[in-house]
Amino acid sequence: MSLRRWSVTLFAALVALVTIAPLLWMVSVSFMVRGEAAQFPPPLWPANPTLENYRLLFGTFGVGRFLLNSVLISTLATGLALLFTIPAGYAFAKLRFKGRDAIFRMLVAALVVPGQVGMLPLFLELKAMGLVNSYAGALVPWLAGIFGIFLVRQYCLSIPDEMLEAARIDGASEGQILRRIVLPILTPIIVTLAVYVFLSSWNDFMWPLIILADQDLVTLPVALAVNSRQNVQDYEIMMAGAVVTTLPVLILFLALQRYYLSGLLTGSVKG
Amino acid sequence: MAGLSIQGARKSFGTTEVLKGVSIDVADGEFTVIVGPSGCGKSTLLRAVAGLEELTGGSIVIGDRDVTSLPPSERGIAMVFQSYALYPHLTVRENMAFGLKIAKAAKSEIDDAVRRAAEILNIEALLDRKPAALSGGQRQRVAIGRAIVRQPQIFLFDEPLSNLDADLRVRMRYEFASLHRQLGTTTLYVTHDQVEAMTLADRIIVLRDGRIEQVGTPRELYERPANIFVAQFLGTPRMNILPATIGTDGRGALEDGRSIALPPLAAALGAGTPLSIGIRPEDIAIGNAPDALPFTIRFIERLGGLATLHLGGREGDEPIACQLRDDGNLDEGDTVLASLPPAHLHLFGADGQALRTVGE
Ligand SMILES: Nc1ncnc2c1ncn2[C@@H]1O[C@H](COP(=O)(O)OP(=O)(O)OP(=O)(O)O)[C@@H](O)[C@H]1O
Ligand SMILES: [Mg+2]
Repeated sequence: MSLRRWSVTLFAALVALVTIAPLLWMVSVSFMVRGEAAQFPPPLWPANPTLENYRLLFGTFGVGRFLLNSVLISTLATGLALLFTIPAGYAFAKLRFKGRDAIFRMLVAALVVPGQVGMLPLFLELKAMGLVNSYAGALVPWLAGIFGIFLVRQYCLSIPDEMLEAARIDGASEGQILRRIVLPILTPIIVTLAVYVFLSSWNDFMWPLIILADQDLVTLPVALAVNSRQNVQDYEIMMAGAVVTTLPVLILFLALQRYYLSGLLTGSVKG
Repeated sequence: MAGLSIQGARKSFGTTEVLKGVSIDVADGEFTVIVGPSGCGKSTLLRAVAGLEELTGGSIVIGDRDVTSLPPSERGIAMVFQSYALYPHLTVRENMAFGLKIAKAAKSEIDDAVRRAAEILNIEALLDRKPAALSGGQRQRVAIGRAIVRQPQIFLFDEPLSNLDADLRVRMRYEFASLHRQLGTTTLYVTHDQVEAMTLADRIIVLRDGRIEQVGTPRELYERPANIFVAQFLGTPRMNILPATIGTDGRGALEDGRSIALPPLAAALGAGTPLSIGIRPEDIAIGNAPDALPFTIRFIERLGGLATLHLGGREGDEPIACQLRDDGNLDEGDTVLASLPPAHLHLFGADGQALRTVGE
């Protein structure tokens, strides 16, 4: 390897270390005994590793329930978002219908409106529909994100019309074309979108805080925030909570990694 | 199998009319080629037959069924696109089987059909590959295989060879011919390559600007083009067109003041009638002859065995192309005697239409 490549590798390794160090320390602290992390200088490793923090978290604080809430809401949000955004994005790209481009331009224009602006009207709307303090209410903002529709549409544009026409000649219905031709081709973008929605809904704080009042329904980030207000001094428990929050999405992200890298349309058309 | 009949097909996109009343009859088992310059509506016509474009007017009958308003899958057609349009995530086998699977055919039937098509096209060894792992020629074969598996009444091909390199194009052209001999399926084949048209077609349809210019066998079109457009569209180098008028002596007076003898059919034209005289490059005879005229060689294209001379009378005139066996004796700047045999002349009126004697 040349010197140049060595230095690039070294630089990348350093950046990676700087990025990952706080995460590792978070894990480390979560195994420390109470007050250990508050010493000066703070220790890197727990002197006597303990599971006490996790026991407290899942026992006394009942974090299991919140974890379940979060998993449920994020999974549903992801599933529903895919269910609505993929056909919508595909339709905007490939189906001919009246007003298609005008509607799409309106949607894209709406992208510039920050989400927070819509929160109050949305809350009032849901209140009128009686969906406040329910999972349904928590899920509504994720149903059909404009960004997701936009993303799917842009990728669908690169699918050649002739391929869909070939399927039409082969006798496939529009639904079959979507399921058997378009979806497999879109796999990388679908995975990307799924991870994006899952992560965003998992980490979302504001909306669940606003819409979910019932303690039993609350998501993990909201529950931990309330918890941290009561246990400001206990870094160790907070870190254990942070580990519980981060780990699932990290695992999901790593597991799906290989899908981002594959190509979309290789081999369908000429050369 | 079945024939195809298109009556008065019209198609407009918005306000632009792309097909302006096209009527075609293709006999059962016939290989018909549609040629024409880019943008003349060839693809649109083919897509209308396939049911991918809805006609603005007219009707399409396949066999004895009016399919004008049927969806593509119910028309009994199969189409091969210029871009192949294979399904990238499916293997060759799955690509070919897709239509039958959708139709819920029995597994054994699907396997049989795929195997038969693969045998015909010599792609048995590729069945488990994905399209990305195939060469251009192989992809083309798979696309054709997908069409064969459907056992259509009509094959539709839209410039299927235009993405291949010259070598492969010649080979695949030959394969198309033998495929048609083997299957005997009625075929509508679009190309803008006149060599493909001449070599493959039982009949050629020349399309220009949404209208049919002429229909006929390759030979008919070559020997008796109906107008200047068809005359110049088929054949390379293209037919020379010399503007002329009928002289008082009944000969054709060229623009440079010289005159040539005309075929008998010109006798019916009065002196002073403007016309265009067409002659194919290979029909011009070089060498001394009673009616030969001197020309200067402006430029020679040597193609190995053949050479194309570009002959000029006066400066600034369009040169006349002349093709002959290249014996290496001629040079640019030389003067040669060339004669335009009356028997090989094509005469066109001022409107560009071929002049014919009554009864022809
Ligand atoms: N969907 C469409 N919307 C508007 N105009 C179209 C559409 N499809 C084709 N056209 C126009 O119709 C005309 C004929 O197109 P067509 O594709 O049939 O030409 P072609 O003869 O196949 O040309 P080429 O040899 O370049 O493939 C062109 O001028 C084209 O711009
Ligand atoms: Mg075309």
